[in-house]
Amino acid sequence: MTDTDDEVPRRTVTIPDRIELPRLLDFYDLQDADHTRIHEFYDRLREGSLSTTQCADCGELHFPPRVVCPECTSDDLEYVSLPHEGTLHAFSTVRGSPIGMDTPFGTGVVDLDGVDVQLSARIDGAEYDDLAIGDPVSLVITEIDGPTDQQRVFYRFEPQGDNE
Amino acid sequence: MVRNAAIVGGGHADWGKREATWKDLAQEAGKATFDDVDGLGPDDVEGLFVGAVQPERFAFQSHVAPLAAELLGVNASKMIARTELACASGQAALRYAWLAIAAGQLDVALVLGVEKMNLGDEYMGETQASMTNVLDREFDGVNGLNAPSFFSMYAQRHMHEYDTTREQLAQVSVKNKRHAANNPYAQFQQDVDVDDVLDSFPVAPPLCLLDCSGITDGAAGLLLVSEEKARELTDTAAYVTGSGQSCMASNSINNLPSMSAWPQATQAAEEAYEQAGIDDPVEELDVAEVHDCFSISEIIEYEDLGWVEKGEGGQFIEDGRSELDGDIAVNPRGGLLGCGHPLGATGVSQALEVYKQFTGEVESARQVPDSPETGLIHNLSGSGSVHSVMTLARDPQ
Ligand SMILES: [Zn+2]
Repeated sequence: MTDTDDEVPRRTVTIPDRIELPRLLDFYDLQDADHTRIHEFYDRLREGSLSTTQCADCGELHFPPRVVCPECTSDDLEYVSLPHEGTLHAFSTVRGSPIGMDTPFGTGVVDLDGVDVQLSARIDGAEYDDLAIGDPVSLVITEIDGPTDQQRVFYRFEPQGDNE
Repeated sequence: MVRNAAIVGGGHADWGKREATWKDLAQEAGKATFDDVDGLGPDDVEGLFVGAVQPERFAFQSHVAPLAAELLGVNASKMIARTELACASGQAALRYAWLAIAAGQLDVALVLGVEKMNLGDEYMGETQASMTNVLDREFDGVNGLNAPSFFSMYAQRHMHEYDTTREQLAQVSVKNKRHAANNPYAQFQQDVDVDDVLDSFPVAPPLCLLDCSGITDGAAGLLLVSEEKARELTDTAAYVTGSGQSCMASNSINNLPSMSAWPQATQAAEEAYEQAGIDDPVEELDVAEVHDCFSISEIIEYEDLGWVEKGEGGQFIEDGRSELDGDIAVNPRGGLLGCGHPLGATGVSQALEVYKQFTGEVESARQVPDSPETGLIHNLSGSGSVHSVMTLARDPQ
């Protein structure tokens, strides 16, 4: 037995330096009917309306939207519009740069006006020190550019009056 | 057939930013565990339960329980599984081992928790991305809700609703890091004071860097055996006396019961207290290892584990009631804030700490005085949607 042997064949395998963002590191789902049964939520959002599902049997309002009602297991659900205004329940700043995200940015929890729905959302257009619990915020539709050919959208919120 | 089960020893890999792989860490903790227990070796282990949260993301590896069995030469002739319950995965592994022994399925279980999280600073974005998917990734993780920003909102709400102060939050970090300074496997072995905490980087306001547990590579193991086996091996064991969990059908933001309280912790604790026959936890518990993933978490846990009225958690730390010589010695190990938080390993390490406090084998500076005989471990997981509580005692009832 020898420590080295010049006769052992050597070859090289090349791993690519960069690959396209793999499907499972993309935070946003594919939003069309070929990929998700809640595509109507995304279709409505693309058209400018925040919505969710409500159970036609027991009346439960869900968020996030569902295909089966967690209250009564009915699958007879219908899409209903949600308010586009709400108030800040809590908020913070995201640092630490999750891959593909443009940190730092604001994030928070919004109580939608007049319905029992509380959702998390990125809070655009204000620094942490400029915000307070209870501040009124309103919907911003965000179009997602890349990496698929699909026209994807998501919702964010910003302090009311920012665009006035 | 319900049988008692007891911890009879265990050990740790060193925790921190380790120049080591998932497999290295598993082997180190396994060796430390078997080295700690005279009379039991790998051949005696009938059941292997491995707490591991994201080996698929952090180590590109799944099916890790058989991998660990092979590495440690454990036959696991009767039962083998990995548990994943985010930050409570280690306690979940321990709970299933306990249930298997209680049901008479096996007598000797190895409970192992392993997490490799540091891939190198240049890949921290990948680690952070993986951490956001413990909430509903499609609707919450997508908004950047990683652990610091998420728990910072609990701090903000608790301060808003109950006038909890920034200084009280910092006092939790000061206490736990003081304990960790005397814990040789801890990631952060350095004392800090309140000003250090308040002056540290505002990672996710109102929380600062020193309000946060770490990104940690680590592993811990323990041996859980039937009472009959325990009595053959040792005079001092830590018997599981109660165990509760609660989820309340919640995971995403809209369905959490509160952002300043964890009623799931109350339910899980009441379940465990009832099984253990504990009427007054403050009076009857000597040591508690609770889930201080962030300083605010421990304050809410004082309240929702039933030790103090809602809203008075800040006063509980300020009055020194959770110090080593207080009403309940909380996190003498150093907590997640001091030891770091290798997700799957934390619950295992907490339970092992309670055992070591019973046997008096910890460093004297963090030994709970007057021979503690009863203890508790608590973990929350994910968005705090699930809470897991286990009680331990030197004597089975
Ligand atoms: Zn229904």
